[in-house]
Amino acid sequence: MAEIIKIVEKKPVPFGALMINGLPDVGLVGLIATSHIISELDLNEIAYMDSDLLPPIVVLHEGLPHAPLRIFGNSNLLATISETAIPANGIYAVIRHLVRWGQAKNVKLMISIGGLPVPNRQDISEPKVYGIGTTPELIKMLKDKEVEIVREGFMVGPQALILRYCMEINVPGIALLAQSFFNYPDPEAAAVVVRELSKITDIKVDVSKLLEKGEEIRLKARDIMKRTQMEMAKMKKTQEYDLPLYV
Amino acid sequence: MEERRRKRSFFDIISEYFRELEDWAESLTESLMERPCWNERECIIEPLCNVFVGPTEVIVTADLPYAEANTIKVEPINEETLEITAKLRRTLRFDDFGITHRKGEFSAFKCQLRVPVPVDMENMEIRFKRGILEIHLPRKRGYRITVE
Repeated sequence: MAEIIKIVEKKPVPFGALMINGLPDVGLVGLIATSHIISELDLNEIAYMDSDLLPPIVVLHEGLPHAPLRIFGNSNLLATISETAIPANGIYAVIRHLVRWGQAKNVKLMISIGGLPVPNRQDISEPKVYGIGTTPELIKMLKDKEVEIVREGFMVGPQALILRYCMEINVPGIALLAQSFFNYPDPEAAAVVVRELSKITDIKVDVSKLLEKGEEIRLKARDIMKRTQMEMAKMKKTQEYDLPLYV
Repeated sequence: MEERRRKRSFFDIISEYFRELEDWAESLTESLMERPCWNERECIIEPLCNVFVGPTEVIVTADLPYAEANTIKVEPINEETLEITAKLRRTLRFDDFGITHRKGEFSAFKCQLRVPVPVDMENMEIRFKRGILEIHLPRKRGYRITVE
């Protein structure tokens, strides 16, 4: 049986917008940050992913069922979140489809938001944000905005595949990764990356509420963190700590 | 089918065996983790925890948002199991998170963790920072072999 994967558009989708992606990964940084942006900018749900590669669930909000992987937006911004961990065995197809959809919508920049796990995170009061770009021009743009570049290393998981497929089909893509906990929800890291995002784009979002609700978020995010952790283990996420060999 | 089975080499059989073993271990881990963290009957929440085995020590961490720092207790149950408990600063209800179809209130964190290698429980060091509890347990030494 063929695998079903499609993005169902509920409302008109803007062309040429910025697209930010906050999919469950280390510290749930991307998911927490993007959810906060969606809430602060009051973005509307405009599309969702329908796929038999995702778990058979709906998320209930205000009594109404929603697909777990949804795209929100306004006239110049698209924001993707998933309220369930993306299964390791479906991640290639899900991300490939998402990036191709972005290409079809002519997104001007695909921005992946996430965490960069550091073992001493507890001792870091202001996590640092690192950047990755899919072209030399994007790397220069990040450097001009004083974002330190991840020069060497491995990336594993949703962010890695977003960058890979962006490169493959020439969609301009960057990743902004804040130092974070590996397997504990990290709203502080999410706040830092949202602030950094405002430096390189015109997305201006106040993070005070996010920081105030930090403990509540950490408690609410526990269950999805646990499931994300299981999927990260299958993707061999700890390979991000490895050194690449390129002589 | 029978012919295909005959063509499988010894290495194919071994690698298939390991693949099956890996799948089994994975499903076992998932089934162990596949349980709610919210225990309505005992009014406790099981915290997110992690055990890291290093060359000289084992580091156990637990995420304890809303925990009252001076109520945190770390007690060895036996030589290989630790119990972590902490009271919450306030009682939390499902209602607080917008969940109205389930009832339950929670006043504490509690979990028991098995340490996979021998450790010296008496010399553990504990710190609580940024809502994360960190327990350092020195690994027990067996005996020394002199390198000539």
